[in-house]
Amino acid sequence: MITITEVAREKVLALLASEGRQGLALRFAIDGRGPGGFRYRLGFVEPQDRRDDDTVVDAGGFVVLIDAQSAPHLGGASLDYVETLQESGFKIENPNAVWSDPMAAAVQRILDTEINPAVASHGGHVELLEVKDQVAYIAMGGGCQGCGMADVTLRQGIEVRIREAIPEIRAVVDTTDHAGGTNPYYQPAKGGRSPLG
Amino acid sequence: MPRVLLLSSTTSYRAGAFLDAARAIGAEVVVGSDQPQVLAALHPAGNLTLDFSDPDRAAEAIVAFARGRPLDAVLATDDEGVVLAATAAAALGLATSPVAAVSAARHKVAARERLAMAGLPSPAFEVFPVEADPDEVARRASFPCVVKPVALAASRGVIRADDPEQLARAFRRVAALLALEGGSQRTSRKILVESYIPGDEVAVEGLVRGGDQRLLAVFDKPDPLEGPYFEETLYVTPSRHPAVVQAAVTAATQRMVEALGLLEGPVHAELRINPQGVWPLEIAPRSIGGLCSRALRFGDGVTLEELILRHALGLDVAGLKREACASGVMMIPIPGAGVLRAVTGQEEAERVPGIEEVRITIPIGQPVVPLPEGARYLGFLFARADQPETVEQALREAHRRLGFEIDQIQGGRA
Repeated sequence: MITITEVAREKVLALLASEGRQGLALRFAIDGRGPGGFRYRLGFVEPQDRRDDDTVVDAGGFVVLIDAQSAPHLGGASLDYVETLQESGFKIENPNAVWSDPMAAAVQRILDTEINPAVASHGGHVELLEVKDQVAYIAMGGGCQGCGMADVTLRQGIEVRIREAIPEIRAVVDTTDHAGGTNPYYQPAKGGRSPLG
Repeated sequence: MPRVLLLSSTTSYRAGAFLDAARAIGAEVVVGSDQPQVLAALHPAGNLTLDFSDPDRAAEAIVAFARGRPLDAVLATDDEGVVLAATAAAALGLATSPVAAVSAARHKVAARERLAMAGLPSPAFEVFPVEADPDEVARRASFPCVVKPVALAASRGVIRADDPEQLARAFRRVAALLALEGGSQRTSRKILVESYIPGDEVAVEGLVRGGDQRLLAVFDKPDPLEGPYFEETLYVTPSRHPAVVQAAVTAATQRMVEALGLLEGPVHAELRINPQGVWPLEIAPRSIGGLCSRALRFGDGVTLEELILRHALGLDVAGLKREACASGVMMIPIPGAGVLRAVTGQEEAERVPGIEEVRITIPIGQPVVPLPEGARYLGFLFARADQPETVEQALREAHRRLGFEIDQIQGGRA
């Protein structure tokens, strides 16, 4: 499934020892996709956090838990630990394509090359979650999450550009929890703008 | 495919609802906004940046745009865009209310004068510059009275005063609020002082065609609005006032429409009812604000925004009646100034029978400011039931189950 280098294994064991707690597992998950490829999440979890459909890898001294959504995209991946003058930290090599579906890959390219560079000017970002039945499901974050103009950004920008470039896409659906946004770029107000919020 | 220009400021709650409505009827939308849209460069034919405070110049830009992409309607989502919408629509030869009528409706003093001249029951009022001596203002007034900044809307800066001391204090507070609004040329630096009208308040939602108002809904406001601040909370429809009173409210709204000279589009009016009759407070040439329009559905689920859009495009809306059930909304009041740290009880609130949605609209970690200075709602509760009493109870119970943790800001009002 995945390979853990000896250096990475020793680093994980050292971190576990520093935590002073026995039996913790390492959860390894794909957290999203961006212009650099997959984004990953690594963290210690309690044994009871193991789920029935997790893939479990015995790394020798600890186990690695991989959730069912991440597992198909991590086959053949390796976890290493590097420490040089330029960088230090865990390093993941993953031979899997970010999107196996060409339509999803095309949407991702539009996001990476046109949309995200633009919304970054408002502190925002847009992530492709999946393409299913020719519908692209996205989530907005940063300044876009909770922004009063998020609907306009979606309908008058993201959707128009994606459908123009990939006519097979029927719709773009925003799945964002906008109520959870903590720093929206534009915030709605009653009766016009106020300096007081 | 018809094409509509939707004027929506970046502080609007409603752009999404109008975009949904346009999609539902197959209309192409161009969004005109007061700030640049972040992705406008990717779709220049669908986005315009316009200075809402300079309607003549902005209308010229719209006319120039329309030469290449003709427009079938121009609509404003909120107060800020209504004068520009009327100016642009007139320049394009589209059906609209006269610019002067819309401008008057947007101006508290001009509207007061027109309503009084038309013989509608009106409070006594006087207008003062913001620099006026508050103690002198207090000496001239009769009590109780209400202080209102001419330029602000949605109850912002509206304060009741029952004696000269309260009035002087309220005047200073409103002057300070206007100073905080900045040196904007568009901000009128005048303060209206008018006699307080006691009574039950109702809101009327209507659609005007050719100067005739079609009543869409009468909302009761079951929470007393007696001051010192006038924070709107509950709106419930249908009204529980007797039919004869509702008829008087509808007739008074039509007279308000005529007094101001409004001819086309949505109107939102507020009136008070007391033993002396029905008293018009104000009428705005736009539909209900915030997310409150979700309390209204027509026909088999048509939204208010779709109704307005259909009307603007000349489509038939006569057959669309408001749904039979009762409905209502609570604009969740801000209990004190500070920083919103947590909202609790949302799931419990959603479980109240009749509650359809609990929507918190201020993000955690953001400052919250109550009236009279604040300009935002904590959020909205929506309910539907067979009877308006049940709707009101559901909204009150859902609100009771919500908790808001607000860290008070040093020196802030709570």
